[in-house]
This record gives sequence, C-alpha cells and structure tokens, in this order.
Amino acid sequence: MTQALEGVKVADFSWFGAGPICANHLATYGATVVRVESETHIDALRTVAPFAKDKTGYNVSGYFNNFNAGKLDLTINMNTPEGQGVARKLIEWADVFLTNITPRVIERWGLTYDNLSQWNPQIIAAYQPMQGYDGPHRDFLGFGAVLTPITGYSYISGFPNRPPIGLGTNYPDYVINPGHTLVAIMAALHHRHRTGKGQRIECAQLESSVAPLAPAIFDYTANGIVQERPGNHIANAAPHNAFKCAPLTDGGRPIDERWLAIACFTDDEWNALVEAMGNPDWASDPKFATHDARKTNEDELDAGINAWIADKDAYALMADLQSRGVPAGVVQSARELLDVDEHIKDRGYYVYLDHAETGRAAYDGPPAKLSKTPGALRSPGPLLGEHTERVCKEILGLTDEEIADLMVAGALT
Amino acid sequence: MTTTDTALGDLRVLDLAGEIGQYCTKLLADLGADVIKIEPPGGDPVRALPPFLQNDSDASLYWLNLNTSKRSITLSLEHAGGRKLLERLVATADIVVESFAPGYLDSLGLGYDALAKIKPDILLTSITGFGQTGPHAGYKSPDIVGVAMGGVMWLAGEPMDPPNVPPWRQGYISASIIGASAALIALFHRDRTGEGQHIDVSMQEALSLDQETAMQTWDMIQVLRCRNGSRGIIPFDIPGIGVYECSDGHVYGYLGTPGGAPWTEMLQWMVDEGLAEDLTEEPYKEFIGDLNLRFLTGIVQDPSTIGSKIQIMGHMAEVVRRFTASKSKWDMYQGGQARRLLWGIVSTPKDLAENPQLKFRNWLTPVEHPELGKTLQYPGTPYRMSETPWAIHARPPLVGEHNSAVFADELGVGADEWTRLQAEGVV
Repeated sequence: MTQALEGVKVADFSWFGAGPICANHLATYGATVVRVESETHIDALRTVAPFAKDKTGYNVSGYFNNFNAGKLDLTINMNTPEGQGVARKLIEWADVFLTNITPRVIERWGLTYDNLSQWNPQIIAAYQPMQGYDGPHRDFLGFGAVLTPITGYSYISGFPNRPPIGLGTNYPDYVINPGHTLVAIMAALHHRHRTGKGQRIECAQLESSVAPLAPAIFDYTANGIVQERPGNHIANAAPHNAFKCAPLTDGGRPIDERWLAIACFTDDEWNALVEAMGNPDWASDPKFATHDARKTNEDELDAGINAWIADKDAYALMADLQSRGVPAGVVQSARELLDVDEHIKDRGYYVYLDHAETGRAAYDGPPAKLSKTPGALRSPGPLLGEHTERVCKEILGLTDEEIADLMVAGALT
Repeated sequence: MTTTDTALGDLRVLDLAGEIGQYCTKLLADLGADVIKIEPPGGDPVRALPPFLQNDSDASLYWLNLNTSKRSITLSLEHAGGRKLLERLVATADIVVESFAPGYLDSLGLGYDALAKIKPDILLTSITGFGQTGPHAGYKSPDIVGVAMGGVMWLAGEPMDPPNVPPWRQGYISASIIGASAALIALFHRDRTGEGQHIDVSMQEALSLDQETAMQTWDMIQVLRCRNGSRGIIPFDIPGIGVYECSDGHVYGYLGTPGGAPWTEMLQWMVDEGLAEDLTEEPYKEFIGDLNLRFLTGIVQDPSTIGSKIQIMGHMAEVVRRFTASKSKWDMYQGGQARRLLWGIVSTPKDLAENPQLKFRNWLTPVEHPELGKTLQYPGTPYRMSETPWAIHARPPLVGEHNSAVFADELGVGADEWTRLQAEGVV
C-alpha cells in the first residue's frame, strides 16, 4: 500500500523528545527518515528508563525506542570535518531537515538555513530551539521538565492549596511541540508542492508551548486577571471532577486506587446522574437545582457524589452513566490502557514490535487513522548506528572505499 | 495577496467543529486557509464560554482565540434546506472538519461517502473523544473524559489529591493538533494522487504520547508510574530537582541532568553569595560531585540503592530552599541560566505576558476590533515560517458575518430564497 508520505526524505538531526517524535510521525505515514546520532554524544533518552527487563546498553530504553520507530539510524561525528561532509550529503538528499539541538551548536556545525538552502535550495528546514534563534534568552537551557513551568502549565495546573507542581511529565515535549512542528512542516510541503519553494521553519518551544494556554494569557492581556490553579473545576460544568471508587483488588486485597471522572454540563446530564444515584434526598435540594446553584455549592456536591461512589466499580459505573448520557471516564493508568481498555484494543492503537535487543515491546501507533493511507510502524526503535553503512551506500551513494575512509577518520561514530 | 503568500492560501475548509476541533481549524486558518465556520442559527455555543472580555458575555476570549482568521456563516443542518446548502459548499471545499457524535453526519446523509460523491477528493477530518469505531465511539467525551481515559490525569497531581485535570482543555488541544497535522498529511497525498480520504482522530489516542514513559514502563517491566507531585519520573526528593519557593513566587530546578551545568556549579553560586552553609564540607562535597544523570537513573531503576544518601540529600535540599527563598524568581531564573544551571521560572500568565523573550520576538499579536472600539493583544504564533508567515488574517467573525458573501455572492442564493430560508430557520 502506498503511504501518504512515501518518497519524502527526512534528515532528522534531533534528539530527546520534541524533535524525534515529530520525525517519528513522518516515518509512520511513509517518509524515509534518517535519524542522525553520535556515539560521542549520545541521545540521553537512550540512557533513561524504562529498560527492557534485565537488559543494559544503549539500545534497550523504551523511552527512546518509542519515539524513533520506523527510522534508519546513522551515526556521524559532527566534530570532524569528514562527519560534517556526510551531514551535508544527507541534507542535499533530504526534503525536510529537522533539529531541536541548541542554536549555538547548530551554528557551530554550520547547519544554519543560510548554508542548508545553498546546498539544497528546496529544503524545508525546521528548527525547534528552546527559546528562539534571537532574543535575550536565546541561549537559555532547558528541556521539557523546565519548559513546563517556564511556559505557564505548572502555575495554572492542579489544586490552589498546593505548590505549582505541573503535570507529572515533561508535558509539552510529547504532543504540543512535535505536533505544532509537524503542522508547519506539512504546510510547508504543500506550499513547496505548489511553488517549488522551500523555507525555514522555527518552532520555538517557548512559543509553541504557550500558545495552547491562550485563554490564560488572553485573560491577562485583555483583563489584567492572573488566573490561579483552579483544581479540577471549570466554569461551565458541575460536577467536574475525579471521584474515588472502589479500589482495584487482587484476590480481594486492594492494590490500587480507581477514580472516575464525571462531568455534567447541562441540567439533563445532572438529572440523569441523580437518577443513576437512585434519587437521593440531598441531590434534590434546591442548592443543586440549576447549573449556577451547583457551581455555588460544588464542594458539597462533590462530597455527596464521593460518598455515593466510594463502593462502586469504576468501569461498571462508567458504562452505566454513559448509557444514561452522563459524561464519565475512568482515570486510566498505562496498565489499563494496555491491558484492560477494550476500546483502544479494538482500534489497534498500540502496536507490538519485535526488537533485536528488547524483544517484543509496545509502541504508540499512528496518531490518527487515515482511511486510505493508514500509516504503519515499519520497524522498531533502531539500534545506535544500525543503518550507518546502509545509509552511506544506498542513500548517500558512497563506495565501500569511501565508507572505509570515513570510518578510519572517525567520522561515522 | 496571492494564494501562495500563505502556506494554505489555496484551500477552503468547512469548519463544523465544536470545542474539540476549533484549535485545529484555527491552525489551518492562521496559515491562510479560507476557513468557513458553519454556526447554527443563533451562533456557536462555544461563544458563551468564559473567560470574557471585561465580563461582556458576548465577547468570549476563549472563543475569540479559537476562531481567528475564520469567516462565519449560519446554517442549520437539521433542515433539508440547510443540508442542501452545505452540499453546495462541499463542492467548493478541500477539507471538512467536524466533531459530531460518530454516525450523526451519516444519519443526515452527509457522511464521508456522501461528501465524496459531491467532491471525490474531499478530506473529511473527524475529531471526537474516542474516534469513529470501537465500543466507546458513542461515549460522551468532554475534555475531562479524554484526559482521564487517555492516561494523562493518572500522572498529574499529589498522591493525596484526586488526579489533576490539566489546564485549559489539553485533550481538545492534543486532538486538534493531531487533527490538523493528519489533515495536512492527507492533503499532501491528495496533492500527489488526487485521492481524498476520511481522517479519524480520537482524543484518547492523541493524548497517549503525553504519558511520557508510563506506557513503556508498564509494558517493559510492569512497574506503574503514578502521580507523585512535581517529581515526575524521579521517586525521591533530589536537591535541585522540583519546585522551590522564591521571595515572590516559584522556580523549578532540574539540576544534574544533561545539558545543564553540573551540581558543582550550583555549589559555586551558593559559595559566591556566601550561602553555601556546610555544603563545601564532607559528606556533601563528595556527594555533589557524583550527583549526575547516572546517579539519577540508578535510583529511578532501583530506589533501594539510595540508602543513607537520603539524609544527605534532605539537608542539601534545605540549604537550596534557603538560597532560593532569598531571591526573586526572575533572579533565580536569569541568574541560574547565566551559570548554565537548569532553573526555570514558574511563570504566571502575567510573567508570560511580560516575558522579555516573547516581547523581543513580538509574540503577542495586536488585533483591531472596531465593533468593540479596542485593539486586543492576542496570544501569538506557535511557529515562524520564512516564506509563508503565520498571521491572524482577520479578527474572529461575528455570527453569520459572511452569510451574504458566501450565500449570495458565491452560491447565488437570491433574495427570495434567502427570505424563505430565514423564515424556515435554516440560516
């Protein structure tokens, strides 16, 4: 089957999360992606857990492998002139260049758009600097962990009586920044298809991450209001929270919490919830009769639901509430997503691939289903330098002798 | 302006999307596509959501931000006349974005197959909570249901609190970003083959990568990542990692991790300011030399290796706390960064509006609203494109503002037909 991006060539000079995930999606939908790495400065994700059980080394991190499936892996030592020569050949071959390496290093390696567009006038070169290629904070350091607080997510996440703890992950690294960059690259490919023109894209992770928090920024620029941590409540629904159900048990012994998210946006949804609860007296009190009243008395409302729900099975209740038209969803963990959730299994979202060192492992599948060009993960996360020779030969057209010379010069490490 | 001055200037998008898909169509509109927003007569219900401009419930800042660069027409799909008009518009469109419950458009005779009969290369992008197929496809799925079922809430929050809902509808945002990128991937296929298709986006799936390593950790070693406050992947309080209080707010540290200067540089900063206390002495001095990614990875993998180091780290964290408390958040951020230490400011919305970097790059974007007699500072672009710059091409539309341009001028709906459609409640 022909995939949407078949024949599109990508030189992926990125590392960590935001860059590799973007190129991962391009590979999933059919592009030929050459991921450039170096043994001399390893992608730190290769050294971060989880590692396949009882395995060590650079090839067994599930963190790294999940973001690099479907790619060819080429090692280049960019601190050698010969290595930079190989990089130039790869860029001459490519339709798309991608990097999230810091501006200082990119400039030192000569991988600026000025150079790239001389070597390959039609190239689409996407840069994902942390803060931008200009400005007073240009050379500030950071990655997702620090970006989450810098870009405002931490301050307005969670409960008001807690410190600004964030979302428990390096949040903007995984969908926001790779996704925005992918939108820009695809828009640029469409434009190039029409005009023959390449261009430079800069997806500064600061700007890309702040953009989705627009309602909070806008409230300040338009009204001077500084939004605070709101907890789990929102203005247009009540209840709107996660409620603690009966625990997950193993042989009758509780082993983990189970929570159900419930939200009512309309009186109909609320009335259906009240009926599901068996029309308890407290719920018919006028202080819960309208949306405004429920908002005013929301803590008491939450307490009533918590008391009722504590011995209920979260999954059974989700099915019951949904059948009555009440929005409800189990707060699932990765365990539930992989092992329990029949829906996501039915859609085949997670994909299991055999990997030479980790064995069989789960991967995120195509992020959207395209009816005629569905995309596929063609190979698991690559071993470090797994395709160096193949890329040199088949993609860059180097002879065996040239490859040997490069190896002797230490350029392919 | 020609259609090639913007990346998507040759495209027409019909925007039937509710809240979940409006960021998707905003992305397309700000890149130059002619996005025609189709509102029910009376207007899109999202227009009624806060925050509002100065308590004016007719001016939702939430809605305005999501609907820049779009045009608006009103049309009721509940009426046969409305559906006919939509069919005429589909014939002129490249992409349709919708977020109705799966099966609804089919029930109106406007599903993918029907649209493809009118416009064979149409790209129908459907963005819903759980996608078009599967046992939960019909579930009601506001944002909170998506972030719950998608594994994101499970990881967010303090252990003693309920799992946290991420701010400002991140489920909708992820679904919209994946929707826009997938629509453009399908567009590229159409550019080369002439083939249209149906794009099926599930918010639950769009959020999956946001679980960071939780999925792989369960798959590979059957260890479950759970919410643990600000510590994320790291199971203990490590000095210099996490939230620290300053004189006027907070900073977040990630010392000892790759890219930043090592902990010894933090010690030097504290020495330079006379605030290192006893950290230059043993056992702290030696321990500080070893506090690196290797050490951190070791304790993530096997927390039992931590042993007596926990007291050393506890004391160091106290000394760091006293240091950060003596400084403002901007001094910690900018001073730390000057030493290449991974300290980040915990920005408030005000800090972001005043952020020197965003200011230098003119990120906030002024948009004139003549009807309000005001120019509003809109949140700006997620990306810069050298040949086809992002822009807010027009202020968000009034309800039905472009009815006459689209219906009368383009589709040739005459005055009599218009009066009849109005009387029937179609427009």
